[in-house]
Parts: sequence; structure tokens; C-alpha cells
Amino acid sequence: MTTLSGIGTSPLSGVGHARWYRPDAAITLPERPAAEEVDSGAEQVRFETARGTVREALKQARDQTAERVGEQEAAVFEAHQQFLDDPQLVEDIERSIQSGMLAPHAVADRFEEAIKQFENMDGMMAERAADLRDVRDRLLRELLDVEGADLSTLPPDTVVLAKRLTPSDTAKLDPEAIAGVVSATGGRTSHAAIITRALAIPAVVGVGEELFEVAEGTEVLVDGEADELVTEPGASRRAEADSLDASIRTQRVTTADERAIEVAANVGSVMEFEPARARGADGVGLFRMEFLFLDREEPPDEEEQYEAVSEALAAFPDNRVVVRTLDVGGDKAVSYLDMPAETNPFLGQRGLRLSLGKFTDLFETQLRALLRAAASDNGDKLAIMFPMITHMDEVEAALARVEAIANDLASEGIKHAIPELGIMIETPAGVFSADRFAGRLDFLSIGTNDLTQYVMAADRENNAVADLHDPLYPAVLRAIDYAVTAADKHDAWVGMCGEMAGNPELTELLIGLGLDELSMSAVSVPAVKKQVINTDTHSAKELAADVLNCQSREDVYETLDLS
Amino acid sequence: MERTVEVVPEAGIHARPASRFVQKANEFEIEVSIGRADAADGQLVSAKSMLSVTGLNIEHGESVRIVTDAPEASEALEELAAILTAPTESENV
Repeated sequence: MTTLSGIGTSPLSGVGHARWYRPDAAITLPERPAAEEVDSGAEQVRFETARGTVREALKQARDQTAERVGEQEAAVFEAHQQFLDDPQLVEDIERSIQSGMLAPHAVADRFEEAIKQFENMDGMMAERAADLRDVRDRLLRELLDVEGADLSTLPPDTVVLAKRLTPSDTAKLDPEAIAGVVSATGGRTSHAAIITRALAIPAVVGVGEELFEVAEGTEVLVDGEADELVTEPGASRRAEADSLDASIRTQRVTTADERAIEVAANVGSVMEFEPARARGADGVGLFRMEFLFLDREEPPDEEEQYEAVSEALAAFPDNRVVVRTLDVGGDKAVSYLDMPAETNPFLGQRGLRLSLGKFTDLFETQLRALLRAAASDNGDKLAIMFPMITHMDEVEAALARVEAIANDLASEGIKHAIPELGIMIETPAGVFSADRFAGRLDFLSIGTNDLTQYVMAADRENNAVADLHDPLYPAVLRAIDYAVTAADKHDAWVGMCGEMAGNPELTELLIGLGLDELSMSAVSVPAVKKQVINTDTHSAKELAADVLNCQSREDVYETLDLS
Repeated sequence: MERTVEVVPEAGIHARPASRFVQKANEFEIEVSIGRADAADGQLVSAKSMLSVTGLNIEHGESVRIVTDAPEASEALEELAAILTAPTESENV
């Protein structure tokens, strides 16, 4: 048993037989002929043809990755297309061909120069070297008619070992068949890491040259949680890795006395669905749509938003997906949206205030996409949540807008439905009016990060008041209790989607307070589910009552046995 | 004609922002070049070359010049500058 350490890309583990992947080995350049023996015209055509084929293949890889993994991961292939058609590089290669080089030599030499430029730098620049190698190898394989090793059809329980994995290689991996992936190079943000994480394939990258000592066929354990690769793992080492996997519960859970608690994930992009599912999340309790609006020049259209929501619904066919409508403002600025500079952005135009005001067009486009998605496959699992609510007129206006959009769609003959509707409770005003709001809605979801900031009047980004930013102050706990009681009175379900929900040390308290749903970062799901199972509702209620009676935060910590 | 902007995306002029910048530059007929704010004209590189643009290794927070000799190109420069000043996503609950 040998243990090599690297960087786990996700907390998943897998056991299988090592299989070396050596894509470069298959590429052997022919002899270099004398310049006068080369038919430059023919070589030029050969290069052009190969480039055309690779361009087409890259486009295909892009589309496939967009579909299997996500738009963001697919973007790397757009960069590859640009390297392929880089005017400088193409010109250099063509000049070499004109001077009497065979096309493959011209490609190999000119790419090598470009790769050298990036290779010895770190971070982002090293990634560019990997990109260039990937494009070069595609071109050379095409020119020399070499089949690339096919990673999409490996025998089951294979652990792929490689010096480095290109995005093209990684995107082809079949998560069903692959037990794991290990590479000598790469870091946490390398494309290989991002894609294996998104595909929920156990992987350890950056192991170093010691990896080359592992022989073909060796049984290996890839332990992403421990950041280790273990050869010929003993029974106890396997059990250790297994116990983590076993702690992932994909089924819904109940308390010891069978009260159902939904443990969902907060997600901020399409690529997070798979890891959330892999960690056993019961659907999505907060889908932040902002990712679709950032890092671009214009807002996404109805179709793009519809697609993203459909993807979420397809990823969790048996579970609820709560989509929050556009929540910009506060600390989140979007360059192409003309947002006012405010002295106090957290107390200014944000969330629904903008959706009902300045950005009403964006809001309507978003609602059209959501109402259409509600009538698509699994659409009955969709829920819409409005952020930053302070008074009844806002709730009524949002509901009226939904009604109006439904009427528009009906008159256009477009299939649609009105899903569950709810709001975030994140302001003191929202708390004190929660009993009024709940009568008009299907659910309330408590956003504890903002709620704490507003109840404690402590800017969450100001370190000088960081100590006040704690949801365990009696005032915040009372606010939560008030909102839950209000929801119960009207049979609305009530969830929580702030960081507090993902703290397993608080699960019993939250169940005792009466929360029906807890939504958190996917990584916290297994630990919280475990707590739910071990909780008895009756004693949880007693604990909550004790905590609500506490005089100070110190008392609360003591009652909860926290340090 | 030229514009000087501070690079906003976390990734600097790499990855997606670089890719989108070069893609956009290639949509225009005119020649556009780019370099650090303190770079002389001779040190600027073609905005249409992914290799050259990422080779600058420009990071978040640095200022860059986007330059063209073409007349009436302010709209093109504006669009290119917009890509380098669009922020990337952040977490919020």
C-alpha cells in the first residue's frame, strides 16, 4: 500500500484498476524531408483541411460539453477555437510551410514556441499552455491520421491515470463507467478539476511525478476527501473511504419520530446541479439566477433562462426547485444595467424593488421563462421566490405581475402554468408582516445572512462589526421564530436558505423552531441529513423553547453546547 | 483613437473574458491593438490574436489601452472595453 497526495477535486472516492492514458505517445512525427522535396501548395491545402476538421470537432465538443456539463465549462472550447484560428499562429505556420516544411512539422514547431511562452509561468498562464497542447494534438492527430485514445469507452471500474488531462479528454469521460481520475499536474481550478467536479467523478490532481511509478492495472483508491491516491488499499483504508460515501443519503430523510425535513441545496449555476445531487440534496432550495446575468454584456433572453430552469428541473425530477427572481443591487452590480450609485446600497434599490421599478422589463422576461418552465416536464416541482420584501403592496404587485404574464402567455397561445409562489424573509419589516404575507403565498424562505445584517444593523461586509453578524443573537432567533409561526398559521411551508441552515450544530434547533426545509451549500447536505435522522421533534422543540428564553448570545451558546 | 480601462473580471484577461474579447475583436473589420496602460505604441499586440492577448498576462485590477487607427471606431472600442469591465459572479443569500 502506497499513498500519494494531491488535490481532491470533490469529496467523492472510488476504487478501480489503473489505466494509463498517454495521448502524446501516439503522435510520432515523420522524418523531415529537404525543403525542395516538399510540395508547399499541397501541404498548405493539407493544413487548411485539417484545420477545418478540427474547427468542426471543437464546435461539437463545445456543444456536447454545454449539454452534459454546462455553458461555463464549454467556454474553454471557444478559447480553443480562437487558438486554432489565431492570426499570428496561422500566419507563422503558413510561412513555415512556404519555406519548405511539412504541415505537421510546421504545426509542431510553431505551437511548441507558443507553448514555451506560457509553460513556465504559473496559474492562468500554465492553463493556456495546456489549451495550446490540446489544440496542437488535435491538429497533429488529424494531419497524421492518428486515432485519439477513446476515453468514452473504457471498461467499468477504470481509474484513468495521466500526466495531464486536457479539457477535451476530461469532457469525454463517462461518469457511469469511470471509478476515478488522477493526474500528475493540475490544480483545484484547472479545467480537469472543474469538469470532474461537475460530472461527480472522484478525482485527485496535482499528484506530481511519483504518479508515474504506479503500474498499469494496479488496484487504486481515489480519495477526493483525503486528497489521496492509495495503491492496493487495504480493507480498512477502503472502509474509511466507503464510510464517507455511505454517509451520503440520496433519499429524503425524516426525524427519529418521522417528521419529514427537506434538505436542499443552494446553487448558483447549472454546473452545481450534479455535485448537489451527488451529495444527496433534495432538490434546490435557492437557485440564484444572477449567474446568467453576470460576466456578459447584455441580459439573457427568455429562452436562455427557460433552458437554465428546465435543466434544474431535469436534474431533480423528484424534488422541488425554488428559483429566486433577479436579485441584483446591494453588493451585486451588473455593468450593463444602469444601476444608481447609492451611499447605502444594502438599504437602497435591490431585489424586487428593482424588478418592480427600473428593471420591470427584465422581470417580465424572467417571469415568462419561469411560467413556461412550470408547464414543462417536471414543471409542477417549480417554485418562484421574490427577494427583498418589506410590505404588502410589493407582494400584491409581484402576484399581479405573475397573473398578467400568465394572461399574456394565454392570449399568445403559449403553454404555461403558475407554480408555487413565495418570498424571502430577510428584512425586519418582512418578519413583522410575515403573518399577512403568508396568507397570500405558498411559502416563506428565511435568508439568514441578510436577515442578521438588517436585524442587528450590522453591515455584513464591515469587519469592525463582524461580531454582531451572528444569527444566534436572541433578536435574530426571535425574528426567525416569529416568521415560522406566521407561516404555520396560514399553512404555508417555511424554509431557510442562509448559511445558518447548513450548520449541523444548529439542525436540532431549526427543527425545533419549526422549519420544514433547510437549504445550504451542497457540501453540508450529508452532515445535516445525518443530524435530522438523529433528532427527536419533541426534544428539539424543548431545546428551541429554552434557546428562545435565553437572555444573551452567551446563554444561547451555552444552551446549544457550542464553544 | 483609444480607450484606457481597468480590468474588472476576477480572471483578468484570461479564460472567458479573454476569449470573449478576442471573439469580439474579430467581429470588426478594423485593426485593434491592446497593451498595458503604460505600454508604448510599439509594445501593443493585436486584439484579434488569442495568443498575443493572453500572452500579456494581464490581471484583475490592471489598466489597459485599447487602440485603433481606424476612424469612427468609438463604438467598437466601447464594446471591447465593456467586456473588460463586466464583473464576474459573486455569492449571495
